Amino acid sequence: MDVLVVGVLQGVDPRNVENALRVQSLFRNAPHPVEHILDRCGGRPIHVLGTLNSAKTTLSFDPKLLSVRITKPGQMPRVECPKEAGVVLQVITFDRPDPRRMQYLSTTPISLSLEDKLGAFSSVPPFDELDKDEEVERKRKAKLVEKLKLHTVVTHPRTSKELALPIILNQINCSAELNDLMQSNINMVGTRLRRKMSVTERVAETAASLRDSISLRMKEAFLRNVWPTVSHLFIWLLMLTRIVAEALLWLLDWRPLPNLVALKDISATAQQLDIRLQQFCYWPAQYRTLQRTSCDWMSTSDSHPEYIRFYNSLWLVANDVIIGIALGSYVLENADLVAGQVDTIINTYSIEGLQRMITWLTDYPAGLKLNNELAKFLADLFLWVIDYWDGSMRQLRPLLPYVVRLIGLSSLAGASLPISLVSDLVSLLTLHIYSFYIASARIYSWQLTIIISLFHLFRGKKRNVLRNRIDNCDYDLDQLLLGTILFTLLFFLLPTVAVFYATFAGARMAIIALKAALDTWLACLNHFPLFALMLRLKDSRRLPGGVRFELQDTPAALLHITATAAGTRAMAPTSYIKLKSVPLPLSQTFSQYAQLGHRLRKHYLSPHVFLCLVSGQFVPPIHRKNLYSLQYSMLPVQRVTISELWGLLRTPKKVDTAAAYANGHVVGSGHSKAKQGRAKASEGYWWST
Amino acid sequence: MLTTKRQTSTTVLYTVSTGPPVLSWGTRASQYGLLLARLLAGIFVLALLLNEYCHAFRCPQNLPGLSSALPTSPAHHNLAAWLTHALPWYYRALLATATTWLIFTKSHLEESLLVIRGLGVQTSTSSPSYLWTSTTRFIPTSSIQDIFIHEAFRGFEVRYYLSIVVEDEEDVVVVFPYTAS
Repeated sequence: MDVLVVGVLQGVDPRNVENALRVQSLFRNAPHPVEHILDRCGGRPIHVLGTLNSAKTTLSFDPKLLSVRITKPGQMPRVECPKEAGVVLQVITFDRPDPRRMQYLSTTPISLSLEDKLGAFSSVPPFDELDKDEEVERKRKAKLVEKLKLHTVVTHPRTSKELALPIILNQINCSAELNDLMQSNINMVGTRLRRKMSVTERVAETAASLRDSISLRMKEAFLRNVWPTVSHLFIWLLMLTRIVAEALLWLLDWRPLPNLVALKDISATAQQLDIRLQQFCYWPAQYRTLQRTSCDWMSTSDSHPEYIRFYNSLWLVANDVIIGIALGSYVLENADLVAGQVDTIINTYSIEGLQRMITWLTDYPAGLKLNNELAKFLADLFLWVIDYWDGSMRQLRPLLPYVVRLIGLSSLAGASLPISLVSDLVSLLTLHIYSFYIASARIYSWQLTIIISLFHLFRGKKRNVLRNRIDNCDYDLDQLLLGTILFTLLFFLLPTVAVFYATFAGARMAIIALKAALDTWLACLNHFPLFALMLRLKDSRRLPGGVRFELQDTPAALLHITATAAGTRAMAPTSYIKLKSVPLPLSQTFSQYAQLGHRLRKHYLSPHVFLCLVSGQFVPPIHRKNLYSLQYSMLPVQRVTISELWGLLRTPKKVDTAAAYANGHVVGSGHSKAKQGRAKASEGYWWST
Repeated sequence: MLTTKRQTSTTVLYTVSTGPPVLSWGTRASQYGLLLARLLAGIFVLALLLNEYCHAFRCPQNLPGLSSALPTSPAHHNLAAWLTHALPWYYRALLATATTWLIFTKSHLEESLLVIRGLGVQTSTSSPSYLWTSTTRFIPTSSIQDIFIHEAFRGFEVRYYLSIVVEDEEDVVVVFPYTAS
């Protein structure tokens, strides 16, 4: 049998309390319907369990009426049960979680990101291979687990006691509010001495009721006159901005053909704008969800993760704007200096540095002897393109201060916008390096393929493309001769081409690393779980990551024979266990980051990438679509449409303005009286006030 | 070394610890000696950091005031000063980090299994350093699919381990993962 103590009522008789519970007089003046919270507790009615520190001692054990003793405050409770009853007791103590501070117990960790996005966004290469591998691995493990089920020798059907744990945890979560309600109605129980109120209490009560009535009248006046116009204006403004946002989002998401890229896939700025607009579209819906929780018991609300997500995104945006304003004001003040610096950096690294490097390659680089004519030809080719690029860049040089001013201005809307703009500018300004990389990679890979094929010819074999294998082949003499000569030529020209390819591949990798660093910075600004971290420091019981049980040492005084007035008797064996909440571990708070980092590492630092580099195939940059799982983890897959938003904003929220008059006192919401018996964080057994 | 805490027949706690089982005088003395060594190493790291600070910000005259604020001794200061001159900065940084890591590492590991009838089982592994708390995992009885003892190869020997299969999960939970033999 499992029993859970919800609260302790002082100075009342068990039979009167049982009667009061049956007629539900202990649940009067509840701020919300009691059925909601009782349904949450498994729909079982509340009973009287027993007595605490009663005057008479029992000789027998009655499971319907337990007798518990606590001799000193802070000591473990002792259930009076003689050994002859043959009952084994487990007493589990816990700190009652306070639902008004959003604390609760849970066996499953709180999930801070919205539903699993695995299937929502179709992956694009290169991540789709990783996804396929993961899927294969998962299927294999699922098959093994199914196989394990065949090895079970004896299956035990689940007893109701074992299945009761989730209901017990729900009951623990609801116990604080139920206890407050019952304590506030303790006057309703049977024949309790009605103590007349003293003069000071009467004065305090009158002052409190006066204050309550004044505040209520002011609230009513405000609601009747000012609120409708203000709220209508606000709603119209919100709908207008929502329509503009929808238009922008549609533009950013437009694909000319279903398989081609959209604007937000190629440009970091577009993706950043997209995220901000979607966050803005989601905030009203989130706020409405949170408002709805205040219309019911706090213990029954499931939207604690929503609260954390909402305030996390608000806080991050606020941080973003603050950092952006600082950065933007610096850039705007020193626009010319910054423009000059940017100019110097671009020149040194992408134009002059590259020119120097290419000239160095023509003249015994690192002691290697290259084919002078080919090296000169390639160097002239690349240098000419760089000159042309430099010329056209110089045409655009006068625009640079304006561009810098634009970046500074955009940073006032958030620090993430200038970062994404810089990332896009880096891609644009190093377009020539990208084209050089593609050209030299192409040449290099062609040369390598031809050398391999001619090597097969050397050995008298040929590659059969249909069967994907190497077959013997009869070559004519002139074919063999020509092939060997070409093989020798190309083989000795390979180092020259390889050296140029290595230069541009290295430059391209450096640029990809820079863009990856900027993207990481952006992801941190957009999605750092700041709120969750702060909560973990401030009140870790709001972020449950599971429960734990700790076995306490049974105090020696309770262990053996207890001396009572009737003589010495042996007590039933009792074990004391403490139930605690485990806060969400840091690894799970950062699980999204860990996953993305893992995938990035598998993509960029794997042997496959080195093989691609060596054989001249393209190393593709990370397609923006693969970052979706992180960037959009806090947003729903389908955003709230305009009509849904209109519907949400139009439903009036339940306002309890009706003042309930009971017992001659104004009761605003039922909470003011309940505060007298306010739950303090203490042991499961405690006394009110 | 396995210890059992069984207060009733329905609640049992099995603890396996790699530390010394019996608290004799020898083990107690060695424990206190280790604690003293950790304290001395901590003071040494503090003295080293203090020296770095003074060198970086050129404060020879403030040294007595600062050293009286922190619990460092002249012997530590001499040692730290000698090291500051003898080794380049990366060796000193390495030495400081290695010493700090050694200070906070625990010398023995403890794992436990708590079985509560009607509720479930809970496995717990202590952390290897004093900075983190132990990791626990509670498995309610309704989600235990099976419990079995299986053998595995470790090098050239066979070890037996107890594992719990949890429903809807791909990997089994191994009880006593680090100390089982």
